[in-house]
Amino acid sequence: MSLDILLQHLANGISQGSLYALIAIGYTMVYGILRLINFAHGEIFMMATYFAFFGIATFGMPWYVVFILAILLTGLLGMSAERVAYRPLRDAPKISILISAIGVSYLIQNLAIVLFSGRPKAFPQIEFFTRMFTVGNVRIQALTIVIPIVTAVLLAVLIYLINHTKNGIAMRAVAKDHETAKLMGIDVNKTIALTFGIGSMLAAVGGIMWGLKFPNILPTMGIMPGLKCFIAAVLGGIGSISGAVIGGFILGLGEILLVAFFQNLTGYRDAFAFVLLILILLFKPTGIMGEKISEKV
Amino acid sequence: MKNKKNIYTLISIALVILFLLLANSFFDSYQIRILNLCAIYVVLGLSMNLINGFTGLFSLGHAGFMAVGAYTTAILTMPIAAKEANYFMTPLVSPLNNMVWPFLPALIMGGLLSAVAAFIIGAPALRLKGDYLAIATLGFGEIIRILITNAQSLTNGALGLKSIPNTTNIWWSFGIAAATTVIMILLINSSYGRAFKAIREDEIAAENMGINLFKHKMLAFVIGAFFAGIGGGLLGNLLGTVDPNMFKFTLTFNILFVIVLGGMGSITGTIISAFIVTISMEVLRFLDAPINLGFITIPGITGMRMVVYSLLLIIVIIYFRQGLMGTREFSWDSVIALIKKAPFKKGGAK
Amino acid sequence: MTLLKANKITMQFGGLTAVSDFDLEIKNGEIIALIGPNGAGKTTAFNMITGVYKPTKGSIYLNDSDITGFRPDQITKKGIARTFQNIRLFKDLSVLDNVLIANHLNIKSSILEAALKLPRYKREERKMYEKSMELLKKVGLADLRDEKSSSLPYGKQRRLEIARALATEPKLLLLDEPAAGMNPKETEDLTLFIKQIRDEFDLTIFMIEHHMQVVMGISDRIYVFDYGVTIAQGTPYEIQNNQKVIEAYLGVSEDA
Ligand SMILES: Nc1ncnc2c1ncn2[C@@H]1O[C@H](COP(=O)(O)OP(=O)(O)O)[C@@H](O)[C@H]1O
Ligand SMILES: [Mg+2]
Repeated sequence: MSLDILLQHLANGISQGSLYALIAIGYTMVYGILRLINFAHGEIFMMATYFAFFGIATFGMPWYVVFILAILLTGLLGMSAERVAYRPLRDAPKISILISAIGVSYLIQNLAIVLFSGRPKAFPQIEFFTRMFTVGNVRIQALTIVIPIVTAVLLAVLIYLINHTKNGIAMRAVAKDHETAKLMGIDVNKTIALTFGIGSMLAAVGGIMWGLKFPNILPTMGIMPGLKCFIAAVLGGIGSISGAVIGGFILGLGEILLVAFFQNLTGYRDAFAFVLLILILLFKPTGIMGEKISEKV
Repeated sequence: MKNKKNIYTLISIALVILFLLLANSFFDSYQIRILNLCAIYVVLGLSMNLINGFTGLFSLGHAGFMAVGAYTTAILTMPIAAKEANYFMTPLVSPLNNMVWPFLPALIMGGLLSAVAAFIIGAPALRLKGDYLAIATLGFGEIIRILITNAQSLTNGALGLKSIPNTTNIWWSFGIAAATTVIMILLINSSYGRAFKAIREDEIAAENMGINLFKHKMLAFVIGAFFAGIGGGLLGNLLGTVDPNMFKFTLTFNILFVIVLGGMGSITGTIISAFIVTISMEVLRFLDAPINLGFITIPGITGMRMVVYSLLLIIVIIYFRQGLMGTREFSWDSVIALIKKAPFKKGGAK
Repeated sequence: MTLLKANKITMQFGGLTAVSDFDLEIKNGEIIALIGPNGAGKTTAFNMITGVYKPTKGSIYLNDSDITGFRPDQITKKGIARTFQNIRLFKDLSVLDNVLIANHLNIKSSILEAALKLPRYKREERKMYEKSMELLKKVGLADLRDEKSSSLPYGKQRRLEIARALATEPKLLLLDEPAAGMNPKETEDLTLFIKQIRDEFDLTIFMIEHHMQVVMGISDRIYVFDYGVTIAQGTPYEIQNNQKVIEAYLGVSEDA
């Protein structure tokens, strides 16, 4: 393998990893605050691509306007899901909330099939992102560079929000202990809703860039990325944002390089994430950045 | 009194058999197929309820276990000619290529291999709890599907298998559903069943009462997988075809819906709910298909059925968390109480 | 004869040392109490002995055999049973089932024999049933055998939890605040009850308790914890007159 091709794969891996990271952050934030796997996160990601698709293809709005609207709509969708299907179950056994989350995931997915049909649609190509660059002997699409940059910027904003704003501190407080947070005067429900909103908006950014990168969009397109990004979050240490990013990169780079180096394993590409999940759960269940919590008896 | 109840039970069984006899000769093949599906969902629902409802493990790998059972049974029972026709890309490995087993041993083999798969999966996964277990079993289910897709010379890969003998009939499916029910009842009411329930109620207390958590979780998981494998085998030989796409998470979702609706931890609930869900799935098919009103045809909307189902799942879990039966079971006493009460007051015994 | 011995067991949670260098020795037939303010690390000490937590440091011996790091079920099989500070019954199950479950650890029949109700299993099941009913009679809960355990009044739940622990046939019984939430009359009954089961089942008892009435009335020796450290040990008389204990423990409760 020549150096150029290796660099090409690395660039692909990094941009794939960034996408995974953006989605994984949503999982990790929700898990951190509710101890819940938001099974519907993959579907929320999928809806963002459709919002963007319709904005451009049907309404013909400029892409940057569409992207902002799509991101806001998706945030709203995530918050509504929490309001309708998770909040009533806040004190219910965990298994019930998990089942509700699975229900929401299926509901959104099938609503998408009903509304947008199960046939794939072609995400519009936007010149700004599809342009090709040549760096040395490596030809790279603008998108491949845009994705990691957008991810890095959003990550910086998010970390600032969480560490330096009132809402961010409220989030961390609620994640530690709902009861205590309530006693301190924090509106727990609002904080949880906000967490869902932010997580969903990040997934929306991921979804839109996913659509640009893989223009074949489908109502079922959220399932695999959803599962994989949850795995990325576990890998990095669930509850930890930097962990989710690290997990996303390991998964993205790993997948791309696996297929690049062992072409006969292409059919197993989707299994890679699951194998990784099982290994991490066996050897370091708290993930790379996670803290150990033992149940008080 | 006890005698009387036994007589009631015998009469009920006789009535069910009579119904099946009549159904078998008067129902059309579509209706018979639905009946078969009901019985198969009883087997699948009970097997998942043992793991999720009685032992309290949140496992989502059922479709994977069913796939193992379905493929094993299909490959073992398929006539040699059909095998040659199916595996035209890559021939089936020897000695499977010229081996044909009768249905029952093939089904049991399907169940056993599925149990072996569960053992291999359970060894790492059952050390996890709650939603981690859920995601790990779901992942394993996917891995099984990916392995099946790629093991061309064993499973015919993505093409799947066609012209599997349609061995499954009313007698097989209801016979096995009945056997599964009896075994589950015996198991649940045994000392081991009590240990499973103890784990569901409180793992830490159970472990401190001397129950080896890993061993008992593994027992429930492996036995559940065994019956899931048998259910898968029945399904494959009912439909006549299997392919990797059949065993996606949707299948696990359907079974989960059965046990949630029936009540996690109730055998009676699972049986009732398996019938309700299977039949309504068929009835609600009209939602997906075009409706002809004579003067106008409303085009069908694919996916509508699953929209309704997922909504129902959410509603059940939010408003009727106990499902139809909670952890209660059928007993003649409650039926008698219900009948006695009925003339005076609407509603029934709790 | 020494039944249980702990050598400098220590439990750390992150930066917090919940129990440090706890030395414990319990002889057959003794009733030993562990006291100390809330959060002193008493329950944590129980959790180390019963295998719920693995001690960060130190070792535990039962009848001279090392049980450090064993799983809770293994330790229960070796003869240590316990109750929990905040009652952990199998809530949805009947009173009888709760006790039957604690018999399961000695079952010889395989799951196949159990499911098929083969003779050996039937014999075992009958024995478990008889033993459980007898225990329930002894704790005065036989009439309530079919009630859901969570529907019992608080005091009866405590008794049921003790009956359940007894069903595992322990040599050493650990009771975590058995009199918590009881009125003086109930507390007195409980004190008698503890003595009675000690004699009847040939038990050794190690208990955490706040009611001085119970502690001083029945214990042979007392250990006192403060912030995870053993600040005193001795007979009830010695403890009552120990200056450190009065300061650390009794002093705190006066403030509260
Ligand atoms: N699993 C755990 N993780 C972290 N801290 C714990 C855990 N269990 C107990 N602790 C801490 O250890 C200290 C002692 O607790 P505990 O043994 O329950 O006290 P006591 O029973 O004497 O009231 C407390 O500060 C408690 O918060
Ligand atoms: Mg305590």
